[in-house]
Amino acid sequence: MYGRRASQLLKDFSANEPGQISAFDTENFDQVIKECDAHHLELQALMRKIQEEGLDIQTTRNADHYGAVIHHLALIRNKRCLMAYVYNRAEIIQSLRWKVGPVLPEEVQEKASYSEEEYFKNHSAALESYMSEVELDLTVDMVPPKDPYTKVRVLDDIGDVFLSDQSPNLARHSIHFLRRTDAEQFISQGLMEELSS
Amino acid sequence: MASGSEEGFGFGSGSGDVDVDPSIAMTTDVELLKRAWRNEKAAPEILQFESNLVQRSKEQIQLMEETVEEYDGNGTDPLTVSLYQMDLDRTQFLLRSYLRIRLQKIEKYPTHISKTDTWSRLSEQEQKFAKRCMDDMEKHLTQSVLSRLPYGYQSILKQSISSEEDDMVPEPQLDTFVFCKSKVSLGAYQLDESGEDIVDFVANDLYVLRYKPVKPLIENGQIDIV
Amino acid sequence: MARYFDIDDIIMEDELISVVYQVGANGVGLLDPGAERNCVEQGAKVELPFWLAHELHMRQAVVVSAPPCFNQKTRKEIQADAAFVDLRSRCPYFYEFGCKVAPLIGDRTIGSFLLYAFTGRYKEVLSKAHSSAFISTPKSTLLTKEETQLYEAARSSMAAFKKWRVGGPRFERASILRKRKPTD
Repeated sequence: MYGRRASQLLKDFSANEPGQISAFDTENFDQVIKECDAHHLELQALMRKIQEEGLDIQTTRNADHYGAVIHHLALIRNKRCLMAYVYNRAEIIQSLRWKVGPVLPEEVQEKASYSEEEYFKNHSAALESYMSEVELDLTVDMVPPKDPYTKVRVLDDIGDVFLSDQSPNLARHSIHFLRRTDAEQFISQGLMEELSS
Repeated sequence: MASGSEEGFGFGSGSGDVDVDPSIAMTTDVELLKRAWRNEKAAPEILQFESNLVQRSKEQIQLMEETVEEYDGNGTDPLTVSLYQMDLDRTQFLLRSYLRIRLQKIEKYPTHISKTDTWSRLSEQEQKFAKRCMDDMEKHLTQSVLSRLPYGYQSILKQSISSEEDDMVPEPQLDTFVFCKSKVSLGAYQLDESGEDIVDFVANDLYVLRYKPVKPLIENGQIDIV
Repeated sequence: MARYFDIDDIIMEDELISVVYQVGANGVGLLDPGAERNCVEQGAKVELPFWLAHELHMRQAVVVSAPPCFNQKTRKEIQADAAFVDLRSRCPYFYEFGCKVAPLIGDRTIGSFLLYAFTGRYKEVLSKAHSSAFISTPKSTLLTKEETQLYEAARSSMAAFKKWRVGGPRFERASILRKRKPTD
């Protein structure tokens, strides 16, 4: 109670490596929600007591009032922790659209809640809508250009692809010179690696 | 044409606009784009959308792409072609990065932007994006948290119904320090309300200052963030 | 609240601080382990997390005392040798906490004390993060959260600079993906 479990939820989250996400802690999350209900019941009971004694709810400052205040503060503390937990996880999920493209990787799907998966889809669609309106793919060209072409080795069978300047067969272990912007997303998704020549 | 621009050669397209030498126009625009990009990168809040500059840059990128294709096809020496290509790549990077940085700021503070005069600094497409960001996040937070909280604590803007104002809206920190430089000497500039903190802007000197007080100087182009 | 979702801000407000109740409060017995009934008596001395102490202080329900990390003993230790004081175990958010506590206890000297501590420690520990010979040393475990963030920022920008100088692959697999099994 009094925000301790809620704080722990956040401490566990911040113990992850930056940019990493662990499985949604449903158990503790639900417990904190229950604590919110408990604080709310206490709060209401104390306010009722004040009314029953014929005192003015707005102006009375007795022990019941301060008890109610403390429960109210604990409730909004829990609210803040829960909101921050979901929000900060959502920020990581947002960043994934930039890094790995429109499909949520399997290892993240396993850890995300249903609402998080939905959020990813919606946010991804919003981004795509903007990019198609301005007619620019903003998820490539993430680092300043040095050479227009990059030497890469294919790590997973991708097959034939049509790129802006060539139509290579991206078979596993094959080596190609691809346009930087074509190679970027493949590398980010772990399907290719850059070779320093 | 040898403008001294770090962006490379900035060749014109040869499309024959006789009024302004396209190579000079393009160099200036690349410089402007670079400046807009640098400012946007360093500023903690979103700045005014450079609508005309973005439009011109897009057109010039298209022109450069056509030029590269043409030269590629007609047997111009590979070195020249790759120089054009590099120039094109750099401009494209700047434009994409500029737009991307702005989007990422919108992703972070959509509600704050929509509630303040910052809203008018967004392009029409960015405003649409901001609205969707807000709606998507609200739906997610409501589903995951708010709908499960007791009555009176379910607002996404107010911690509880007893809050006097919207106390749940994150904001960018305008007090962040930025590095800035002025091309010409500006003389004394007051940094705070009491007039105790004054900085003397000397041409080409580097300063580390809080963003908020120098914001007007950045907006009207007198100083640059680096 | 400008930093409503900021995790560091939230966790930092969990730091305990000693208060004396100026009023009684009913129905909150869990807050005072010494209480016999389900309430806190006026005059009770209790340790509360900062987020609660702060609000109750604003409503004049409690009076806050200076936390131990800002007392005379710590100040003397910092004056003697700032870099060697284990601030992390005393108060991981030493600077942020100090800034927030100062107005509550009406202590105007905290500001200059924080600055003194930071300058001293910066010279010793943080500025060395830029040197290439500097690998992790025992001193880095004494750093507060804020100092660690600065330290990490310095190290990562040194690393990025070196990478830029030396060249090499510039694109990376997204860190969130699982490690690949070694290919045959």
